[in-house]
Amino acid sequence: MTISHHPSDETLLRFAAGRLPSGPAFVVATHVSGCAACRDRVAAFETVGGALLEEMPPTPLAPEALARVLAAIDGPPRPRPGERRRPEPPLLPDGHALPAPLLVCNLGPWRWFGAGIRVSRVTIPGDPAARLNLLRVGANRKLPEHGHAGLELTQVLSGSFSDRLGHYRPGDLAEVDSAVDHQPVADPDGECICLAALEGEMRLGGLLGRLLQPLIRF
Amino acid sequence: MTASPAAPLPTREELDRLLVVVAAQRDRQAFALLFKHFAPRLKTFLLRSGLPAGVAEELAQETMISVWRKASSFDPTRAGASTWIFAIARHLRVDHLRRERLPRAGGPDMLEEEDDAPSGEALLLAAEREARVKGALRTLSDEQAAIVRLSFFNDKAHSEIARELGLPLGTVKSRVRLALGRLRALLDGET
Repeated sequence: MTISHHPSDETLLRFAAGRLPSGPAFVVATHVSGCAACRDRVAAFETVGGALLEEMPPTPLAPEALARVLAAIDGPPRPRPGERRRPEPPLLPDGHALPAPLLVCNLGPWRWFGAGIRVSRVTIPGDPAARLNLLRVGANRKLPEHGHAGLELTQVLSGSFSDRLGHYRPGDLAEVDSAVDHQPVADPDGECICLAALEGEMRLGGLLGRLLQPLIRF
Repeated sequence: MTASPAAPLPTREELDRLLVVVAAQRDRQAFALLFKHFAPRLKTFLLRSGLPAGVAEELAQETMISVWRKASSFDPTRAGASTWIFAIARHLRVDHLRRERLPRAGGPDMLEEEDDAPSGEALLLAAEREARVKGALRTLSDEQAAIVRLSFFNDKAHSEIARELGLPLGTVKSRVRLALGRLRALLDGET
């Protein structure tokens, strides 16, 4: 699989720093899990985090801190709540396996989102308000033209789509920032399944979009 | 990166070795040395990340407890001790924010995934990468280094950073791009 579209360095840095909101962070994790080049980049940025930690001036801890920690490491490990993988993870509608980072998430039902388009809400454990969605776009179907209040990240899982900025195939991540209005169109050869997250509100354009806007919290 | 006033700072190799000894021999003395070096730096790091003092103290301690428990998964061929410990603290911070129901930062923990076995050269490569990153950070201009730090200590997107620095949004965007481009070139070994 040749990957030609990657997250920007800024996005990878925010991801490595643990500073992306969880919706976009899961999209980037999905991309990174399939992209060796971005894994290297994230590893390099994590090294920046390590270097920053090294250069921090020390702040004294509470006097009993070491004693408390030494006592704690003798005890049994605290069980980590939640985030357990389900025994039989659901498959994508095309029969493909769900990307590994999504295995801890809950997938909502496929809901109608305009002609030939369905959306499944992905719920991230511990962050129910995060906006993360799986999209199924039929061949040649267009998403409503839209702009963004913030970053939009879309990872192609299967099929392909195009917009005026490029052509995106499985493994590609489309990163679009707030300055851009675009209208993604699924390619004619079949359905396109994507994972998408927004950092801010989506602004739908066109008549259809204006009609849909109040109905949909994308 | 700055020299300590009292004792000389342990080198990367010493810190890595301490962590390996903690994993292999469950050596509490080695752990106490790691604690002495990292816990106060973790606390500062977490404070600068915007956490209140009590939480920073608690998460610095929790990070060190995880260091003890997870020491066997530390692999010096993949990342140095400080990078590995940074990733643990990052994960605990995100976890904490979720528990607080503040949907800010999140995401899966990358470093905890078991990857393919490291090659013989990997150790050198990891060490070289760390050296290169530290070199790169020193070579950035003050402003560029500040921008990189802001990315770690600040959840804010460009628009808010712009407001903070009193600069137009376009200027901040292009400066971030320049800073990261420079960092990327340095990391890739270009000059």
